[in-house]
Amino acid sequence: MEKWRLIPFKHFDPFENMAIDEAIFRADRQGEMPPTLRLYGWKKPAVSMGYFQNAEREINCEYCRDRGIDIVRRPTGGLAVLHGNDLTYSLVAGENSPHFSSDIIETYRIISECIISGLDKSGVKAEMVEKGRIERGPAGAFCFATSYRNELLVDGKKVCGSAQVRARDMFLQHGSLLIDFDPAAVCAAIMTKGMKAGTLEASVTSIRKSVGDNVGIGTLCRNIAAGFEEVLNIHLIEGSLSPEEETLRNGLLENKYRNVRWNMGRGAKSGY
Amino acid sequence: MSFPNDLLYSREHTWVRVDGDTATVGITDYAQDKLGEILSVELFPEDSSIEQGEPFGVIESLKVTTELISPVSGEIISVNEDLADDVGILNSDSYDTGWMIAVDIRDLGELDNLLNAEEYVDYVEEYEEVD
Repeated sequence: MEKWRLIPFKHFDPFENMAIDEAIFRADRQGEMPPTLRLYGWKKPAVSMGYFQNAEREINCEYCRDRGIDIVRRPTGGLAVLHGNDLTYSLVAGENSPHFSSDIIETYRIISECIISGLDKSGVKAEMVEKGRIERGPAGAFCFATSYRNELLVDGKKVCGSAQVRARDMFLQHGSLLIDFDPAAVCAAIMTKGMKAGTLEASVTSIRKSVGDNVGIGTLCRNIAAGFEEVLNIHLIEGSLSPEEETLRNGLLENKYRNVRWNMGRGAKSGY
Repeated sequence: MSFPNDLLYSREHTWVRVDGDTATVGITDYAQDKLGEILSVELFPEDSSIEQGEPFGVIESLKVTTELISPVSGEIISVNEDLADDVGILNSDSYDTGWMIAVDIRDLGELDNLLNAEEYVDYVEEYEEVD
């Protein structure tokens, strides 16, 4: 049975979280490391936005600053997420791994199946969006306001948002699984183009809404990991960053993710 | 899908049109098809020095964000400003009006690392079979 690495759940600040994920993604250029699943939380509420988003136009920066909500730009695309009450995962693997594919939508589908299996073990019945929107909707900058094909719904409402970056035959997928959802806080922190909290509440749900407080974060993490093991027929072995990844993480943290030019400016043009 | 015979192709799915020491670079029909609807592109600015096999920008589609890998080394002498107005031409006309950058080639010998149309078609077919 193929062995993958699992980096177990821990809380970090937003800059550390992105630096760790990108370090894992960048370090393995030769495909020598096994695919890596990392589960993590956020030390305090934070907004992550997609690579191409514009902080000034799409995030309420003043609101975030006043409340100590850090804003970080992800290496992955997609739209903004307010973290704090979510379980975030990152998955790094090769496009040519036997489990995945250069077909991007198919990769989303396979990962969604793993999450569905993990949620099922937690008593949450999730399903995949079979014919989701295939174009960006009118709902502004908030990730959960739009459901794309192969994303996850519970009771017809979105519960998990995801985004990918690819480079040189490797991919990094980010996903945020909502444990709790505060639509008013989202509307305050992220520009939702006039979409009110009540409207968001009608289209977004959370694990707590589905099964109450019955599932702790530890159990949820174990179940999600087990979902990946079952669906992909793999064995996840707990591990940590390699020395090369540690070095990369430290460099990315100081030079990129703690740098206001990366987070509030734009990516490639800023020379990163 | 079309792969014009007068172009060279990289394994990272860019095309190159060579005219003397200048290379015009864009993404192939295969790349735009795989990416789906392209939403944004960010290219290194004019005068940037780029290396074969290293990034020269980032592209975002509805599905994914992907690094653009340069097929040649050299200096960027021109960037297609039309993409800022209508990034959709990368999907509709990737070989012509959807060009991305023009590069002053540093080492013409590097072109030997690229594929002709026939080789690229074989490469893409092989790539698909791996899936």
